[in-house]
Amino acid sequence: MDLYDLRNEFDKLGIMMCFNGPFSHSIIEEIGKALRNHLAAENIAQAAVLDVFAVYIELAQNMQNYLVLHEFTQSDATSSIITIAKRKAGYAVSSGSIVLKGDGEAICQRINEVNAMTPEERKRQYRELLRRDLEPGALGAGLGFLEIAKRSSKKMTCSVRSVDSSCVFITQTAFI
Amino acid sequence: MKPINLVQTSSTPSISFDPATNSLFIIGESYPENSFDFYAPIILWLKSALKELTELTMDIAVTYMNSSSTKCTLDMMDVMEDAYSRGVKTSIIWHYDRENPRSYELAEDFREEVTFPFEIEVLSK
Repeated sequence: MDLYDLRNEFDKLGIMMCFNGPFSHSIIEEIGKALRNHLAAENIAQAAVLDVFAVYIELAQNMQNYLVLHEFTQSDATSSIITIAKRKAGYAVSSGSIVLKGDGEAICQRINEVNAMTPEERKRQYRELLRRDLEPGALGAGLGFLEIAKRSSKKMTCSVRSVDSSCVFITQTAFI
Repeated sequence: MKPINLVQTSSTPSISFDPATNSLFIIGESYPENSFDFYAPIILWLKSALKELTELTMDIAVTYMNSSSTKCTLDMMDVMEDAYSRGVKTSIIWHYDRENPRSYELAEDFREEVTFPFEIEVLSK
């Protein structure tokens, strides 16, 4: 196997870190550590390092929580991809994974909803969701996209591609 | 009262109680695999401690927390608010790093949610 073309593709896209495979909490932690070390070495402000890290954590844990909730065990479903790319101005964090068709639509809808909010509206909804009682077994509080928006320099993007009759592959990108 | 002493990991803060000063220290970063599982026993501990104690200060120096940890932290503050309304002297001291303005913003957001004393202090280096 020759990885040269793959590497060139990464370079073209500015991808400085990428993980593709079955996700776990310890992998999320380790990539997070590596990401922070890498960014710290680039001499950017500590606040900016934490913003990129925080967005990465929200996206990675969203994917991980989805897998746990849906008890996905097939390797193609547990296999997820996350990339951190350097752009002209700032960074882009992307996550890609397989989700049920309806969930893919719901996630994109939620992202568009948050994109359309003003900072004041986001803050108000953040407070509302903080106060909301969680359903038993919930792994998140629904705050993730609001948290990402707070730390982003522009709106998130989301796209889905059909995989089979029941599943889609969803790509979500946040810009910091 | 049961002692509490959790050791810090990469994704969970250390949590310890000093009975000499009635201070509950929370130090580190918080993005556990499952925030609700991590914080549930701490919230239970806090509820029972606040039945016995007449005062408790939560001393927080958390540089980063994920969104589900903020939800759990507010739940802990609600338990403290409840005790405060019964006459227990609860308070929070939140330490933040000057280079980490998000931590200050988060503290301000939390402070809006409670009525007991809530100090925000810059960490001295």
